[in-house]
Amino acid sequence: MDEKSRTPPEAWRSLEEREPSPEALEATRPEFAPGADLPPAGLSRRRFLELVGATTAVATATACSRGTRGAIVPYTRRPPEVVPGVANYYASTFQEGPRAYSVLVKTREGRPIHITGNDEHPVLRGKTSPRAVADVLRLYDPDRLRGPRQEGREVAWDEAEQRIVKALAAARAAGTQVLLVTGALESPTRKALVDELAKALPGLRHLAWEPASGAALAPVPRLGKAKVIVSFGADFLNGDDPAAIRAFTEKRRPQSPDGPMNRLWALEGAMTLTGAKADHRFPVPPSRTAAVAFALARALHEKHGVALPAGVDLAPVAAVPDGLVPAKAWKALLADLRTAGPEALVLCGDGMPPETHQAVGLLNAMLRVETLDFREAEAPAGARDLDGAVQAMAAGKCAAVLLWGVNPAYAWPDAGAWAAAVAKVPLRVWIGLQEDETAAQCQLLLPEHHWLEAWGDHDGGEGLLTLQQPAIGALYDTRQGEEVLLALLNGLGSKVPADYHEYLKARWRKDVYPAGSLVPFERYFEVALHDGVVPVPARPARKPAPDVSAPPAPSVSAPPALDSAALNGAAMSAARPAPATGDAFELVLFPGAGVYDGRYGNNAWIQEWPDPVTKATWGNPVSVSVADARRLNLADGDLVKLAAGGASLEAPIVVQPGQAPGVLALALGYGRTVGGVARGVGVNAYPFRDPDPGRGGLRLGVKLTRLGGHRNLPITQGHHRLEGRDLVHSFSLAEYARQKAKHRHAEHPESLYPDQVFPEHKWGMAIDLSACVGCSACVLACQSENNIPVVGPERVVKGYEMHWIRIDRYYQGEPENPRVVQQPMLCQHCDDAPCENVCPVNATNHSPDGLNQMVYNRCVGTRYCANNCPYKVRRFNFLEYTAGTKEPASLVYNPEVTVRPRGVMEKCSFCIQRIEDGRLRAKTEHRPVRDGEIVPACAAACPSEAIVFGDLKDPASRAARLAASDRGHKVLEELGVRPSITYLANLRNPALEEEE
Amino acid sequence: MNPDSASLPLPEVLRAPSLTVGQVTPGSLDDQVLRFPALAPPRKWYVALAFTLTIMSIGLVLIGYTFYEGIGVWGNNSPVFWAFGIVNFVFWVGIGHAGTLISAILFLFRKRWRNAIARFAEAMTIFAVMCAGIFPLIHVGRPWLAFWLFPYPNQRGVWPNFRSPLVWDVFAVSTYFSVSLMFWYLGLLPDLASLRDRTDSKIRKPIYTILSLGWRGAADHWRHFEKAYLLLAGLATGLVLSVHSVVSFDFATSIVPGWHMTIFPPYFVVGAIFAGFAMVLMVLIVVRETMDLKNLITDFHLEVMNKVILGMSCLMGYSYAVEAFTAWYSMNTFIQHTFLNYVTGPYGWAGWLTMSCNVLLPQLLWFRKCRRSYPWMILVAMAVTVGMWFERFVIIVISLYNDYLPSAWHAYKPTMVDYGILLGSFGIFFTLVLLFARVLPVIATTEMKADLPGAQPRHGARHD
Repeated sequence: MDEKSRTPPEAWRSLEEREPSPEALEATRPEFAPGADLPPAGLSRRRFLELVGATTAVATATACSRGTRGAIVPYTRRPPEVVPGVANYYASTFQEGPRAYSVLVKTREGRPIHITGNDEHPVLRGKTSPRAVADVLRLYDPDRLRGPRQEGREVAWDEAEQRIVKALAAARAAGTQVLLVTGALESPTRKALVDELAKALPGLRHLAWEPASGAALAPVPRLGKAKVIVSFGADFLNGDDPAAIRAFTEKRRPQSPDGPMNRLWALEGAMTLTGAKADHRFPVPPSRTAAVAFALARALHEKHGVALPAGVDLAPVAAVPDGLVPAKAWKALLADLRTAGPEALVLCGDGMPPETHQAVGLLNAMLRVETLDFREAEAPAGARDLDGAVQAMAAGKCAAVLLWGVNPAYAWPDAGAWAAAVAKVPLRVWIGLQEDETAAQCQLLLPEHHWLEAWGDHDGGEGLLTLQQPAIGALYDTRQGEEVLLALLNGLGSKVPADYHEYLKARWRKDVYPAGSLVPFERYFEVALHDGVVPVPARPARKPAPDVSAPPAPSVSAPPALDSAALNGAAMSAARPAPATGDAFELVLFPGAGVYDGRYGNNAWIQEWPDPVTKATWGNPVSVSVADARRLNLADGDLVKLAAGGASLEAPIVVQPGQAPGVLALALGYGRTVGGVARGVGVNAYPFRDPDPGRGGLRLGVKLTRLGGHRNLPITQGHHRLEGRDLVHSFSLAEYARQKAKHRHAEHPESLYPDQVFPEHKWGMAIDLSACVGCSACVLACQSENNIPVVGPERVVKGYEMHWIRIDRYYQGEPENPRVVQQPMLCQHCDDAPCENVCPVNATNHSPDGLNQMVYNRCVGTRYCANNCPYKVRRFNFLEYTAGTKEPASLVYNPEVTVRPRGVMEKCSFCIQRIEDGRLRAKTEHRPVRDGEIVPACAAACPSEAIVFGDLKDPASRAARLAASDRGHKVLEELGVRPSITYLANLRNPALEEEE
Repeated sequence: MNPDSASLPLPEVLRAPSLTVGQVTPGSLDDQVLRFPALAPPRKWYVALAFTLTIMSIGLVLIGYTFYEGIGVWGNNSPVFWAFGIVNFVFWVGIGHAGTLISAILFLFRKRWRNAIARFAEAMTIFAVMCAGIFPLIHVGRPWLAFWLFPYPNQRGVWPNFRSPLVWDVFAVSTYFSVSLMFWYLGLLPDLASLRDRTDSKIRKPIYTILSLGWRGAADHWRHFEKAYLLLAGLATGLVLSVHSVVSFDFATSIVPGWHMTIFPPYFVVGAIFAGFAMVLMVLIVVRETMDLKNLITDFHLEVMNKVILGMSCLMGYSYAVEAFTAWYSMNTFIQHTFLNYVTGPYGWAGWLTMSCNVLLPQLLWFRKCRRSYPWMILVAMAVTVGMWFERFVIIVISLYNDYLPSAWHAYKPTMVDYGILLGSFGIFFTLVLLFARVLPVIATTEMKADLPGAQPRHGARHD
């Protein structure tokens, strides 16, 4: 209707036109048919050209257009702090069980790619645990859970939290228990949060459970002050504590044969890195260490007149160890301890039996050592706590169980009992990063932030607090575990912020921020975040413990009081002759060097990281002593069955020189059943652990049966003897003095060719073998920095591992108790590099600053260079290792380093990207490069600073000064290849002149 | 020989041996040798060809698999970066040497007995070098870029590294291949023309016409031919010595203990001739039996070749002794260790196998009976072939798996792919040999005619 009315009225000129006659119609028709002026047949030339032109234009236009349409946002205003191509560093904290490491996170374009220690930390001084370095890979693990799940289906966070709140509220009303299992709660704010939850939920039973760590009262050795150190199975050099390695090795690099140099005595069952570094090492089965330690105490008392504490009676113990320590050495050890007195230090390994701990405590007390501090630490859950929790669940007393960052289904000593008990709990909640064995037993799976995505604060030890801040936004729909707890608190009626960042700040404002400070809190917190570490403020007075029956907190720096009754009991049990166990072994169980308690099992870098002692990757072979292997006719890779009590397992063995006869050693943390990488690697040793965590490090009465099978072990170093070759220098101090007299500083062998000329710099290294403890932190740092691929166990067996730096470990002397020398081996950047002249396509050549360069693009892959490399440090991509990388794992790549395709040779570049970065920075600031400004990843990670990099043309540089040391030598110098790395001889400080 | 000596009958041993057996005339020779290309091959030839083609395809499929996956499907590892690929390369280059020695050096020395076997031996040279040429290509990590080893002008302005023995190898082997091919083809020209003239086939005639390049047998053709043949023989003579010397430089110029030896060039050349003669001998036995050529390739020929093998075997023994002496005298722990490893340790059997096959067993050839008996000479020739392959295995793999730093030592174990490609190379070689035997004249008839009685008239001598 409306439309009709809108059409204009039709106009007409005449009636004829309006109602035309046929004639008129004929007259108005055009004279010629349409198109009559065109050529009769089809396309005209003009039309053709028009069409061609138009088609071409249209085709060109469409060909140029974008395939996808959508909003384009130009990068006119960049995100704050992000400059493409420039790395940003954030201080944060990596926490593992009771330890926290202040770290620096290197980010590029907003993604974390590398972890190093935080230089601001006054104790760690820029060093960190190798596992912290490797853990950046876990952030990008494709196996991470990407959103909350309920009974296998996706669920909204709110819904999941509502369900828990409802269950908790019901439990509170009914007065039933709720079990919360977490790892060690060293973080003060996290602990405050759990305490607050306990207040809101009186039935909360909290279990701080660490499956693989030990003592309650953490003694802090002051290795820097110690002259004589005696270790009963204490592996303080294993890399977990970089500060200990530094303090120890600072006393092991004397400038002259007169020292000063500390002396290390090690009495241990299995070979450890500490034993490898010891000046005297005696293989002692761990079950006998208490007897030896008490004998030491008694002999000190009787022969050297050291007073025993009142009430202690050592009459039952022998004053000499029967055959475990040779008489001459025993005498020297006693004299050494007596002379050192307060500067002595006796240490006991976590895994040692409680009697040994008692005896070592007695020894330290007798000697009045000033080399030991005691640190207030949360007591981890003991056997009674674990049993209590399982019993409460099994009895149906628990309404809900919250499992946060723990994996009891895998690591509980009796996993069967745990599974049976937990199945009786109506609501089972799992909070974690990657689905694990425990997640399979739970209904609600709540994925947690990786620590690089989360906030937190930590007890850095030594009176320090460290802060943890996110270096990247959450990759997935995950939440911080603390925020789940906050949501529960809110649901239960407490008034807390929903955001853990707010909660953290609030607690800091209340408890940490110095009262009456002139700096506003926001500014204070910003500075703290920037530095990552702040001293714990001296609080005027602690609130008294709410529960008077709780034991008083041990004060810092005071040794625990000796309990003479307990000591006498321990001495009695140590003195008892070992029960005749026939051919049973004692099994040392220790946390895996890389996988720790199993939590890093899904990290491929960790799995391919050679165990610093056995050099085994991808698994945990059982270490067997040389004598036992000979007796039982066992060789590396032979399969055996271990059985003790109800537990049994089948595993390959590795023959370990230096291990005490009758002792087996097995790493914990392997044999996981869930996880793309972790599944099926190694065997699970947890069933062998004693339910009492205090005795968890040792299992007695283990039967070993040979199975007859054999497996090729993925071991990166198959040959351990030096074959009489002069490759690595190791002297006692006396030998050093003799050597020094005749030592002429290394001169290059004669050459027909003129010397290489380096106009500006000549990069090189000095590696002090006396400082290197073999912890292998450098290997992981290099892997992360240089995008080194992981090849997998079958290919390690074949010899395809790709690490650019390896720690060559050589044994000298008798296999039953050999001396050990560690030698980091990497590209020597030879001046007259034998690899360079054989490359047919010039893919490897020399830079004017002394680097042996590798041009991946040009490499054809003849592998001649690797044949001609006497150090065998070149690595070949035999297969394509990176194409199968599952997203988002490729985000971890360092964008400054090419990812190498198959068929290409690669090797250490001295971190050329860092060298160039340093040079450019110096150039833009119009100054020369400063010594120490450029640090390759291996040197940055080395806790003892054994690796020093610098310009050898600058005689004042640290590297050049060390290279000129009279301990210096170059490996295979006689070949005339002129390596750029000088090794400083390893020094030993034996109490007795050794028989060579 | 002067006329007087001709009148005085010489004792049997001093008389120049007869190079043919029975009545052979130029016409019968042509009929006997040149008939094969026109004949339909017998059934057993097809069976043999099917067999070699099968083996060849196994090798080619596995080479394709290697291209697709990478060198990781082989047994090579760190530190044994070179293994079967280079062993096979050196082995096949060595096999080729007998052919050039026979056709070029013996030609220059006017050894007339070489005429009957030169064509075949030279064809084997070419096929062996073709087999050898496969290996450097397939053993590199990125074979699609292997052309970078050739010096060609390019935008990037990058040249090969002329200090690298691998570049010398590229020149040596490609020169060797092209000169051998030219030499062989030049020698074929008169025979190709004969084939052209003998056939009416519509297919073969044009092919032979093109291949014979208009040869009419005119006097100036012969004059040019003889001159060119002599020149190429001179050129090829130098190559016999140079190619394997250059191949040995791959090892001798390196610093790997066991490789870094000054004796390597002559030692490698001797080994190459040794292995090549054994292979030529075996193939010739099959050819003379199946193609009924016993009157042309006589027992005398076989015996002479056996003598060469014996001589080379003694030289090999000398080389091994010199190597061992060098190792002992050097006082160098690394070299001494490597040499002990040749005969002890997990691969010691390979060292013993090499020495027994190459030095001990050929001593049988001191006996005339062994030099003239098929079973014995085949036994020796097979042993030499196996022994020479293992010699290269010993030099390459055993030297590499235990070099300077004990920490890097790693055992080597070949994979099925390695074995398959080695087998495949034999398939390629024998397929080519089989095809050659039926398509081209296996004996140079024109050269043979010079050996026939009365072909070498001398002034003053009686024409008989």
